[in-house]
Amino acid sequence: MLRNAVTALALLLVSAGSMAETIEVKVNGLVCAFCAQGIEKTFRKNPVVTDVVVSLEDKLVAVEVTPGKEMTDQELREALRDSGYDVKGIARTQTPVADIRARLKTPKS
Amino acid sequence: MRCLPRFGSVGAVLVAAALNPLASSAKPIAFAHGTTVMAEYGAGTMEELQVFYAPRFSYSVGGGHLRLDSDIDGSSRDITYARLNYLAKRWNREASQANVFVWGGLGSANVSEDSDDHLAWNAGVQVDYETRRIYASLKSDLHESSEFSHRIDTLQLGMAPYEHDYDRLATWFVLQGRRYTGEIFDGTEVALLLRLFKGNTWIEAGATTDGKLQAMFMVNF
Repeated sequence: MLRNAVTALALLLVSAGSMAETIEVKVNGLVCAFCAQGIEKTFRKNPVVTDVVVSLEDKLVAVEVTPGKEMTDQELREALRDSGYDVKGIARTQTPVADIRARLKTPKS
Repeated sequence: MRCLPRFGSVGAVLVAAALNPLASSAKPIAFAHGTTVMAEYGAGTMEELQVFYAPRFSYSVGGGHLRLDSDIDGSSRDITYARLNYLAKRWNREASQANVFVWGGLGSANVSEDSDDHLAWNAGVQVDYETRRIYASLKSDLHESSEFSHRIDTLQLGMAPYEHDYDRLATWFVLQGRRYTGEIFDGTEVALLLRLFKGNTWIEAGATTDGKLQAMFMVNF
């Protein structure tokens, strides 16, 4: 029984370590796509970022980070400040950016 | 002929813009490590090409070439300049953004009256404000040398028929008013423009009330 528990715990840890973390950032001043392209360019250059989506409608920048890698709040704030925007809030989830992109494309009722 | 800049009138316009802060147009700074190329054809009166690189989001360096053709006496100026643009202030709100940009630079100007090159300097300010549906900008660009003084004041008011998102084509209808000092154009040049942008490319075209082409192209990368 102990062996099973250890195996389950190990699997859980491996699974958690392999899950990509997504950081959803609420951004102030995000009103113009032409101006906001710096955000996407900045994050796509970052080697720990695997995907990024920007939504003017939701004032949202969502960044997916390589499993096992980390992007701190400070790094996020600096990247957005260097793009000319201010961070309003940061939330960390396990939702892939692809799912967020699909959610954003769904018409709001 | 040397014409002194009329700072009184531009001051009044800037104060008016500050009191009613509706403004935004093409910005001289894109984003950190971004390059901006802008080309404008202004109704046969002005043509300008600018290239800027922004080491940080707050400033950019680069240069440009401005040609002015007087609608009054047929004289022309060819001004080539290096310039520093600085984002003096930005307000990021949940559904809007406003900016104050200032710039200054030095260059060389060739004037048609003597065909000689003269040291020239330039300075300017832009105040802008935008939401996803409305925007306005006021820009004042001063070019001076020992032979001339020209200020180009441009006011733009824009309205979008829909709220574009990041991956969609943005469409804007823009009303532009422009005034020149220094015997370039008498009165206010008014143009109605259609502005489209998507991704890193911006195209704007329209006509003045006397049927002349007004167009601009811009790309960020």
